[in-house]
Amino acid sequence: MVTQVVKCPNCKTTMSISGEPGEKIPLTCPECNQKGMYRIPGQKNSGTQEIHAATIEVNGLTKTYNHTPAVNNVSFRVNKGEIFGFLGPNGAGKTTTIKSMLDLIHAESGSITINGIDMKTNGKEAKKYVGYMPEKVAFYDNLTALQNLYFYAEIKHASKQECADLIQELGLGDTGKKRVGKFSKGMVQRLGMARAILGNPPILILDEPSGGLDPRGVVLIRDKILEMKKKGTTVFVSSHILTEIQEICDRVGIINKGVLVAQDTVEGLSKKLNLRPHITVSLDKMSATIEDSVKKLPGVDSVQVKGNSLEIICDGAMKAKVILAITNAGGNIQNLQTKEPSLEDVFMRYTEA
Amino acid sequence: MQTNVVLSIAKKEIMDNIRNKWIILVAAMFAILTLVVSYFGSLGTSGWQDLGLTISGMTQLGSFLISIVAFMLGYATIIGEIERGSMSSLLSLSANRFEIVVGKWLGLGAVLCFTILVGYGFAGMLIALNVSNVDILEYLVFIGLTMIFGLVFLTVALFFSTVFSKRSTALGGAIFLWFLFNIILPIVFVGLLATTIDFTQVTMETTLTVPDWYFALNLFNPISVYSSLITIAIGPVQSSTGSGFIPNPSWYTTGLLLGVLLAWIIVFYILSVWRFQRKDI
Repeated sequence: MVTQVVKCPNCKTTMSISGEPGEKIPLTCPECNQKGMYRIPGQKNSGTQEIHAATIEVNGLTKTYNHTPAVNNVSFRVNKGEIFGFLGPNGAGKTTTIKSMLDLIHAESGSITINGIDMKTNGKEAKKYVGYMPEKVAFYDNLTALQNLYFYAEIKHASKQECADLIQELGLGDTGKKRVGKFSKGMVQRLGMARAILGNPPILILDEPSGGLDPRGVVLIRDKILEMKKKGTTVFVSSHILTEIQEICDRVGIINKGVLVAQDTVEGLSKKLNLRPHITVSLDKMSATIEDSVKKLPGVDSVQVKGNSLEIICDGAMKAKVILAITNAGGNIQNLQTKEPSLEDVFMRYTEA
Repeated sequence: MQTNVVLSIAKKEIMDNIRNKWIILVAAMFAILTLVVSYFGSLGTSGWQDLGLTISGMTQLGSFLISIVAFMLGYATIIGEIERGSMSSLLSLSANRFEIVVGKWLGLGAVLCFTILVGYGFAGMLIALNVSNVDILEYLVFIGLTMIFGLVFLTVALFFSTVFSKRSTALGGAIFLWFLFNIILPIVFVGLLATTIDFTQVTMETTLTVPDWYFALNLFNPISVYSSLITIAIGPVQSSTGSGFIPNPSWYTTGLLLGVLLAWIIVFYILSVWRFQRKDI
């Protein structure tokens, strides 16, 4: 609440008013009855600073098909400038969530805001900020790649030059004048990425962008996503290729059977699940003393002997102590491998039947 | 509504259909058929017939063909894009569903009208070169009314495209509707009419009076409305339908019939937008 002293423009009588910043308050001068409107200076406060930074906000999203909820009360936030990975097994509700976010399908309940604009009531405005790559990328087959992009560019207010540049950047070379009907699946997918980033939207929503791509294409799309992030673009990307997500994402959300089961950084999720690194130590000779010396250590979950190797699962902070214990017990280390908990472990754990 | 968005979508529809090339074939077919009807159309005569006779010959043939072409253009315009997947991208743009329907309708309508204009226009010019006393204005009115008639079927097809959840069912629906308007309804209406006539009283000299309800029913079939409209607006053309020819009642006016065709367009247009707004893509 802010209190301000204002002067009547007519008779200069002063009066005191109070309200929220950005609020418009109708006034009547007590002296001369002059009517007016006063806007309290400052930005409208829409809650905490954190909420302000969110560029995609989904709250209580629910969509039901034939009485079965495909997406059930899903809520998450994607912050400005981050890459948010959206994971889930097939049929978990990833695409339904994404399509609801763009109002392609009408959810029963829940709210979606893009840059603070409500998608349901002001979708046309909200969509101005979004570049979208659907799961099933399709174009107008009778038109050439360039003709297709020109069409989208017209609505997105992008230039023809940008269309031509994107075709080059996505490795489609001189296929711009070729009919899209003659394109291979991978080429269509690359063109789909070009369409999504056309016009440099501040928010990208990508539904399985690497589907149907060869390894080179996968790398290309990944690099493009990182390049967009550098420009300050917020990226929401769904995928089932976990390694890809792990490499680029700041945070992930995991959806299973229509319910969002986790939302955090990969490290944060591993910690929550108490996932620990796996250490494999190969020795020239194995002995019971060595095995016991490791087992005795605090923070070691399990020790398994496989021939001349030890497979140890322990607290990340204990790794050095484990090695030291082995050496002290007379072990001669030949090889050492550590595997940090991956998104795959997190994913498997969260989507267990 | 944003005009540039609508125009972009309309332009895309036009390009897509022209690149498809079949529409060029259709225009050529119209021209050839019109010429054939003009040259060989009337029994007992040979050589070029004037435009009036050609119009009367073309009304029925044209209504068959134009209803097919309009259906082909429109039946898949929404559902086809949904099925192929391009609709998701179109809807992710800053274009609302109303603008998309307007753009598609304008684009497809332009393709249809252009096809009619080129097909009939080319044939008309050839005929005009070969016969004297040509009434160009009359022929232009014929082309214009035919365009409106085509738009009726285009709008109905557009509606079908928003109703069905599969392209194939939309096609089935369009084919059924074509048979309904072209064959089933006329037979049913004439059948109903026949039940009211006491044939024992009919002699060669009797003039049958056709009851008003028959004409009222016919207002529900845009094909009948179109052929009555051509007859009224262009004058009594000698009908090629021979003995089946039923004169129009006096309350059939150009305004009424034109209004009925426009009502078809408006009603199905609103229904299309309404259906599309609610559709999950």
